[in-house]
Amino acid sequence: MSAQAKLLTAVALLIAVGGGLAFFKSTKLGVPFWEGERVDEWLVEARVSFVATGRDVKARLALPSIAMKRGGGQESGSLDYSFDVENNRGEYTAFWSSGPRDGGQSLYYRVRFKEGLDSGGEPMPAFEKPNPPDIPRLPGSLGAAANSIVTKAKKVTSDPDSLFVNLFKQINSSDASQEHLIVKRYYEKEDRANPGIAMGIELLGLAGVSARPAYGVRLTDQNSGQAPVPLVEYFDGAFWKVHDPADPSKVLDGREIFVWHRGGGALLDDVTGGENSRVTFTVAKDRIPLAMLTDLRNSPLLISTILALPVSERAVFRYIVLIPLGAFVVVLLRNIVGVATLGTFMPVLLALALLEIKPLQGILMFSILVGAGLWFRFLLSRMNLLVVPRVAACVVIVTLLMILMSVVSYQLGIVSGIKITLFPMIIIAWTLERMSLIWEEEGKRNAITQVSGSVFVAVCAYHFMKVTQIQYWAFYFPEMLLILLAGILLIGRYTGYRLSELIRFKSFSNA
Amino acid sequence: MPEASTIEEGKAVNTGRRWWHRWFRTPGELRKLGVVGINMRNARFLLPNNPRRLYELVDNKIRTKALAEEQGMNVAETYGVVRTPHDANRIDKMLGENDAFVIKPARGSGGKGVLVIDSKNGKNFLKPSGVELTPGDLRNHVSNILAGLFSLGGKRDYALIEYRVRPAALLTALSFQGAPDIRVVMLHGYPVMSMLRASTKESDGRSNLHQGALGIGIDIATGITVRAIHHGKPITIHPDLGIALIGVQIPEWDTILRMSVKCQEMTGLGYLGVDIMIDETKGPLMIEVNARPGLAIQMANGIGLMKRLESIVEQHRTHPNVDMHAKIRFAQTHFHAELPPLQAKE
Repeated sequence: MSAQAKLLTAVALLIAVGGGLAFFKSTKLGVPFWEGERVDEWLVEARVSFVATGRDVKARLALPSIAMKRGGGQESGSLDYSFDVENNRGEYTAFWSSGPRDGGQSLYYRVRFKEGLDSGGEPMPAFEKPNPPDIPRLPGSLGAAANSIVTKAKKVTSDPDSLFVNLFKQINSSDASQEHLIVKRYYEKEDRANPGIAMGIELLGLAGVSARPAYGVRLTDQNSGQAPVPLVEYFDGAFWKVHDPADPSKVLDGREIFVWHRGGGALLDDVTGGENSRVTFTVAKDRIPLAMLTDLRNSPLLISTILALPVSERAVFRYIVLIPLGAFVVVLLRNIVGVATLGTFMPVLLALALLEIKPLQGILMFSILVGAGLWFRFLLSRMNLLVVPRVAACVVIVTLLMILMSVVSYQLGIVSGIKITLFPMIIIAWTLERMSLIWEEEGKRNAITQVSGSVFVAVCAYHFMKVTQIQYWAFYFPEMLLILLAGILLIGRYTGYRLSELIRFKSFSNA
Repeated sequence: MPEASTIEEGKAVNTGRRWWHRWFRTPGELRKLGVVGINMRNARFLLPNNPRRLYELVDNKIRTKALAEEQGMNVAETYGVVRTPHDANRIDKMLGENDAFVIKPARGSGGKGVLVIDSKNGKNFLKPSGVELTPGDLRNHVSNILAGLFSLGGKRDYALIEYRVRPAALLTALSFQGAPDIRVVMLHGYPVMSMLRASTKESDGRSNLHQGALGIGIDIATGITVRAIHHGKPITIHPDLGIALIGVQIPEWDTILRMSVKCQEMTGLGYLGVDIMIDETKGPLMIEVNARPGLAIQMANGIGLMKRLESIVEQHRTHPNVDMHAKIRFAQTHFHAELPPLQAKE
């Protein structure tokens, strides 16, 4: 078989397999093919992790009643554990148990719900009037100080709502009164995790308002493994209300936060047979109706692909599936357009970095860092250093520059500057080294052409990767990457002119 | 042998200037002119004819020179090879009585890291431009080479110290400082096209075309220069020296062609570029072999490579076992250019 025939067979095969799988998935399994047909859903996964100590294991995790009542859309995942959900007057608890176990254990519980619904922290009528709160017993002068705080607060407020706001505003404020400081210090010793909340709840109790801790999850898919957000639930005489003590006057927004547990009691009951237990949450925006997803997860490996993974692992793939797209853009721009770049796949990395920061800021930061680094590099080259120490010196200088930029942009109030630390450091140090070499060897024109070529390719790749439809396909139809691969193979045999060559050879002939 | 006839080389399709020629040429026009693009070069000539494993022979100048010497080819005499930082202290011994020499990385490309020393001034070394280097500067340059600063992919490298070529007077006249070299592009052992690369003030002694050096096309049949370009534009007079660049006979042209064919035979590469310098006393010396010769040679000659390459592919297919002389004869009969008028048009 000639090379040509082999290539065409491979291309046809790839397109058939990729397209066929995608077709099967969208028609038979009902995964929407177009991004617009999706339903935005939040997928919140609680992960209970602990180290088993070789005895029988039992663990209880409080579950969000609002999601439980809505029905459908929860599931637990944990190998070889017996699992049950207990319902106690509208309060749900997941209950796992198993025989003796050893080593690190992870239990998962997933809840999904449509975007933009209630936060779950809405005022909830009490079944019965709660018992009057316990009066906290504070020793000696502390009691007096606490009483004085509460009396002062009561004077300027009229109802439990305003009292709540007033007390937590004082706790949050940095210039507190003498009494506050004393009480605060006490709670900081007593409750290391959330001293402010413990203090607020007890002060509310002192004022005759029942209050208890609640826990929420922030709805962003930026960070995986977030700790529960501590909230406070208080009784205003008729309803229980959940508020965020960090922003006490604001009603919880269902688009930003989801209340996982309210109604008192612990989020995670002590795990028997385990140590170091803790709960973390991973949040992901999901775009497939639930029914499809459970179908998919049970389908053969080839079809379920990424969707079969736990959410925390899936979050990583959000970026990984984009790399082939970037590589495709690089191939296109280098082999068909003929843009000169520094290194082959450096633009892809740069484009990934741009996805994390906004492109304009990213390019600005990149130019400043590269420009300044280059200048230092020339200072260094006067000292005739050997290559490796010189690159190392560049890395040190770029690191310092990054710190400086983060601090300066923070001081100026541009918070996004802090994110620059995520900017792949290696790319910049490496760009500097390559660029300065080319600068010396081939002249500044070439160096600047290649760096701007790289930035141009990175911006193109960024815009390509940014298209939501394309992200959607890459993530939900990863088999379509086979079609992309076919495209890359075809370009690999493109023997026509590059666009840049049409310009390069413009003055051809007419000798 | 097929009947001797000059291949049509695109001159006939000159349909005059169009408005867009100021900016670009259409793919169709370039195809008619037989211009070979990078993708075409790689896919049709480089990849099928140059197996990866042979690259090592030409990417490492020490090996290339050893091969060439086995073949009895003239190369620049090697004074010494610096392999370790320790060797760097023995440079003086390696040099012996030679005050003029060249230091280059064994795996460098495109003239990177080449340092030319013309003479000594006491303990210091003088570059052709008159810049003085201390022995410390020299050692520093060598350790940069050893660290891989100039080599492909930044691999550790050796420094080669060799005879400093004194180009024939005829050639120095065409070049502003620097040593002009001759590039012959070969396919299957047939010389395809050649050019002379001469430096200008702008290129600072280097012979890289994109740094402002001149590309001067040479007629394969006769060794007479036929066309010159500077930054892609045709010229006839050297921009710094004011000397005519066209119609110059390159000395020992037949030796140069034979040398090029031998280079192809010894390396086994199908498609390659051979770089040759002409020394005023030693005659043509093989400097290096390039497994990925560039495409600027087409601009220097004003002729696309395509038709020549295709006719060679056909000739090679029908006459696979021809000797060196037959190959040279084929190239000389088929690829001769018409000599343009000496005077510039504009």
